[in-house]
Amino acid sequence: MSTDVSRTDSQTPPADAEVRRDRPPHGGRRAPSRRVRAAVLIGGLAAALAMVAVVSAGSGQLAIPPGEVAGSVLHRVDGGLESLLARFGVVADLPLDVGPLPSHAQGENTLWLVRFPRVVLAMLVGAALATAGALMQGIFGNPLAEPALVGVSPGAAVGASLVFVTGASFLDEWTVPVAAFSTGLCATLLVYLLSRSGGRTEVVTLILTGVAVTAVASALVAFNTFVANPEAREQIVFWQLGSLNGARWPAVTAVLPFVVVGLVAAVLLARSLDLLALGDRAARHLGVNVERLRIVAIVVVAMLVGSGVAFAGVIGFVGLVVPHLIRMVAGPGHRVLLPASALGGAVLLVGADLVARTAIAYADLPLGMLTALVGGPFFFWLLRRTRSRAGGWA
Amino acid sequence: MIGRSVSRRRRIPVRLDPGEVIAAAHGAGVVLGGARVLDDVTVDVRTGEVLALVGPNGAGKSTLLSVLAGDLAPVSGYAELIGRPPRRWSAAEAAMRRAVLLQQVSLSFPFTVAEVVRMGRSPWAGTEREDEDEQAVAEAMATADVAAFAERRFNTLSGGERARVALARVLAQRAQLVLLDEPTAALDLHHQEMVLGVARRRAAAGDAVVVVLHDLNVAAGYADRIVVLSDGSVAAVGSPQQVFTSGLLSEVYMHEVEVLDHPRASTPIILPRR
Repeated sequence: MSTDVSRTDSQTPPADAEVRRDRPPHGGRRAPSRRVRAAVLIGGLAAALAMVAVVSAGSGQLAIPPGEVAGSVLHRVDGGLESLLARFGVVADLPLDVGPLPSHAQGENTLWLVRFPRVVLAMLVGAALATAGALMQGIFGNPLAEPALVGVSPGAAVGASLVFVTGASFLDEWTVPVAAFSTGLCATLLVYLLSRSGGRTEVVTLILTGVAVTAVASALVAFNTFVANPEAREQIVFWQLGSLNGARWPAVTAVLPFVVVGLVAAVLLARSLDLLALGDRAARHLGVNVERLRIVAIVVVAMLVGSGVAFAGVIGFVGLVVPHLIRMVAGPGHRVLLPASALGGAVLLVGADLVARTAIAYADLPLGMLTALVGGPFFFWLLRRTRSRAGGWA
Repeated sequence: MIGRSVSRRRRIPVRLDPGEVIAAAHGAGVVLGGARVLDDVTVDVRTGEVLALVGPNGAGKSTLLSVLAGDLAPVSGYAELIGRPPRRWSAAEAAMRRAVLLQQVSLSFPFTVAEVVRMGRSPWAGTEREDEDEQAVAEAMATADVAAFAERRFNTLSGGERARVALARVLAQRAQLVLLDEPTAALDLHHQEMVLGVARRRAAAGDAVVVVLHDLNVAAGYADRIVVLSDGSVAAVGSPQQVFTSGLLSEVYMHEVEVLDHPRASTPIILPRR
């Protein structure tokens, strides 16, 4: 079968003057500048994440200078790599074991048993929630879709609280995230089915559907709280406020696979999500299998939100604030938006958790409370802005 | 959709020769919301021609376009896109074969004009024709006269400008079948003539163009063949001279219509009697 790749009108310019053969200014120059901007954004966010992580790990009742935090990490990485190489029969002395080790006797333990798991969990939860928000906004074609606002996070909370109450552990450490994923998926499907009519999702319908789904989910969580024994009840109450208090490595390993798979899947959907901005029909005309895209994206959203909610509780507005800030800087293209949102969410949550731990001495403020304090007014501002621009979003 | 491994298996279209049937409806019937909006419609679309669909509001023009595009499956009869029902092509394969300009153009996020036009190239991602991307986008933007505001955000444009951006996106897709649903509705006289001129050139280059039009004089001036739809059925098919008769148009539009000879051209002039 011969493949005709030539097109008459692409090779011989029509006689009419309408078609200019010289390239308009957007041709060669625009794309690199946008790429540079995206690279700077992603590089900057990665650097910010490293910085805030080091600072956060060093802050607390036992202060550890950033240099010692970095030194401790480098020594561990060095040792880990060397033993990995040794397993393959390679004896090497890698030059990574530089920098000072924590000078305090308990420094190493504090970092590796308490602070690092907490920082890493904050990164994972922040990345998951921000990416889930960007993904939902793309799928709903509505910039106000956010997991906690439209009932997905409360839905995931139902499953997680059920596990706390029953003490179920049928899937070992994955029990909580899987349960949160399952009920989160139900909530996402419900919101999606109820808020769409005629292939569109109006802002008002979406928010009101979120109110309804949240009401039911909260009632179920309240019931779980009510029937729980005192110990489980206290666990649910504090978990519900949204906190990374008590995060340990098992929690990190439990959510890590979900977050990684979710982030990779989200980035693979990026190109199709761009086209979906044109509407369902036009996206289909451009080759997007819209139905399949929707189902995959909804499962991915539930995975990300489920893993975010499983150990950290309901932390709202991350999925709203982060993608919006990224869009302001880098535009709405999902190929940059999704990875940048993941990084931005991680930065935001590590930073917010640092504030939650250190703002008031000897107190661990609920993280969800903090994000809501900032996110609530932001949401209100967005709502006003969206409503004032008839149908538009610029 | 997911990744490029899938796209490698897509069948790249082979260009049809001028005069071949690229799309068709055979006795197609469509029922929407309990009402029969299309009834036993048979139409063929050939490469190298501009085919205009005209008729009163609610005659089924857009519905017929949806059937040809594969958006709607007829409940009776069948449609065809290059030898098979349109919906039997995968979405990606169909996108390499036909481009569609919808009546309503919307965008839920503030992409720039250049980005929107570039979306028209997405069916070719991962194929060897991806190499044409930059050239196709530049040419489409010049043709639709949108290059001047390439970096502006789509949502800040006027209705007519948006319509031209959408047209540029459709042109950049470089499919051999182009379906245009009222492309001139929001356009001024100059741009209206420009769009139909583009349609003519695409047809001359061997593409097939189906265009829904309300302005009968525009249809008479640019179309090779015209399908007059009335109440979901085909009332007439043929050249402008054949179908644009006072009797047929008066009956179809339920309004007395005069058809005059143009003093200098062969195209008829259609005027409602006032």
